[in-house]
Amino acid sequence: MLAFARDWLPPRASDSELRALRSHLRGLGAELVIVGARQAWRLRPDDDLVALGELAARELHRDHGGREDAVLVLDHDGSVMFEHRQLHVDHSTLLAGLTAATEAMLSSAPMLFTRRGFVGTCVVSGFAAVVLAACHQKEHHDPDPAPAAAPVPAPVEIDVVLDVNGTKRPLRIEPRVSLLDALRERLNLPGTKKGCDAGQCGACTVHIDGKRVLSCLTLAAAAQGKPITTIEGLGQGDLHPVQKAFIAHDALQCGFCTPGQIMSAAALIKENRATTDDEIREQMSGNICRCGAYPNILAAIKAARGGQTG
Amino acid sequence: MNPFSYVRPTTEQDALAALAEPGSVALAGGTTLVDLMRLEVMRPGKVVDLNGLPLAKIETGASSIKLGALATNTDVAYHPDVVAKLPALADAIRAGASGQIRNMASVSGNLLQRTRCTYFRDNVSPCNKRAPGTGCAALEGFTRMHAVVGTSRDCIAAHPSDMCVALAALDAIVHLKSRAGERTVKLVEFHTVPDDHPNVESVLQPGELVTAIEVPTTPLAAKSRYVKVRDRASYAFALASAAVALDVQGGSIKDARVALGGVGTKPWREPAVETALVGKPATPETFTAAAQLALAKADPRPDNAFKVELARRVIARTLALVAGGAK
Repeated sequence: MLAFARDWLPPRASDSELRALRSHLRGLGAELVIVGARQAWRLRPDDDLVALGELAARELHRDHGGREDAVLVLDHDGSVMFEHRQLHVDHSTLLAGLTAATEAMLSSAPMLFTRRGFVGTCVVSGFAAVVLAACHQKEHHDPDPAPAAAPVPAPVEIDVVLDVNGTKRPLRIEPRVSLLDALRERLNLPGTKKGCDAGQCGACTVHIDGKRVLSCLTLAAAAQGKPITTIEGLGQGDLHPVQKAFIAHDALQCGFCTPGQIMSAAALIKENRATTDDEIREQMSGNICRCGAYPNILAAIKAARGGQTG
Repeated sequence: MNPFSYVRPTTEQDALAALAEPGSVALAGGTTLVDLMRLEVMRPGKVVDLNGLPLAKIETGASSIKLGALATNTDVAYHPDVVAKLPALADAIRAGASGQIRNMASVSGNLLQRTRCTYFRDNVSPCNKRAPGTGCAALEGFTRMHAVVGTSRDCIAAHPSDMCVALAALDAIVHLKSRAGERTVKLVEFHTVPDDHPNVESVLQPGELVTAIEVPTTPLAAKSRYVKVRDRASYAFALASAAVALDVQGGSIKDARVALGGVGTKPWREPAVETALVGKPATPETFTAAAQLALAKADPRPDNAFKVELARRVIARTLALVAGGAK
């Protein structure tokens, strides 16, 4: 997302404002570039505010700016998907502007954007990477040397290798990146869902070393050296029996919690510790379904268990 | 989440050196640490991932079971020797968290897990535990889940662990190691009450590593159970819970252990109840009368005053369960 906010300056941004902005961006899987009067800054859900320099600000003003402040939603090519103009955007209104732009876009243009499409085009590796690449290119070719931005300590990245669904995947990431974010935003495996991002809902359940765990509370760096299985890798060639049972028993409504439910259920069957209905419910209590599909989830698990030997 | 550096030592020596650096914190299962780092309640400069260390063994000895610091909660709760010899411990772990979290959470992480006090976790409210000297928002706040005993005027946050309540009743010993050497601490003396320093929660020193928890496998421990009362049937923290061990011979109580969860600022042992049980007949009347002695020094808030009576009833019920007189 791109916000033109002439009166916005990092020193005036309180911790709580930045926290609220990050929270909003995390929910969208998006990042924000704020363009002030002379400077631009990038904010990602799990990164510090990074100054992009005056050149970037000028470029963005030239390409997208107007007389008024504004909030824009851009896709990964940098083309505008939605504009929310005639705002005065400052420290008290930036979050409201983001929310308004998001809601207006999602509600006004159902024919143009699916939610999946929207989220998909706003992933962290998307827009700002393009903007930054463009700026870097400019810096190489533009004879006008832009004054250096205020130094921001570069986050230290480390090289890791994740063994995901039978494939070794090398990555350069910060240590604070969760396994969930690494899977979804770096490895293009969005089947694992981000629900609460706090270890409470189970939507992010994956298997590490064959055991069900929460990828949101697992640091990607700490998940090295052990086989990781996501919903994309659960069935081998065909759907896994639990996936088939979920379809046969209509064990979902909106489907958001379903990958986590299925990963948890597949592990539960392998653990073989739950025999009664109540024991299955207890063993599945870490997977929340807001649609309340629990009766059919239970039926699917019993069917899948019955259909397997051992 | 704030940036931090990450190391994964493969020897205890390297781990102890890394942990001795200021601002470093140990990572085991991550279920507390990653959560609190994301909330920015915890902001370590360095995360020392202990999972490269060989500390996950569960060893059954002649008179005790030694739980390696990195054994998972699932490993412990379903270990055949734990189930047979320390049933309260198996009960307690299975009553906590969810299947996924039990697969991740470790013995040492459970021991050191932080409170679920919402004012501690919100990173905004005054909180002497998170930001010493800022005050305690819970004192004037919503306190249904807070502690009623071991509290101070600076903190009333409840200790959230189920596992530790069973370990308190079962006379567990914590094994610690630092560059200065090794030592052991009784589990009941490992956690500290908040007093005027709620930010200090245990006797663990900076740079010190929990290597194991050892639990004696006594005849008493083999007759132990854990009962937890909570707002939901599963995946909820205790309102009140009890771990009880009894040695009953010829209908008479020879020895007893009673500890409470959900009510204390630390896992709460109840010696007065234990003393009142010894020498008495193992009857419901004995259990009810002894349970009344629990939480004599409770200082509840209006929202959680119910916990005192609830805890006493949980003790009586667990005693009856262990004695074989109730379900």
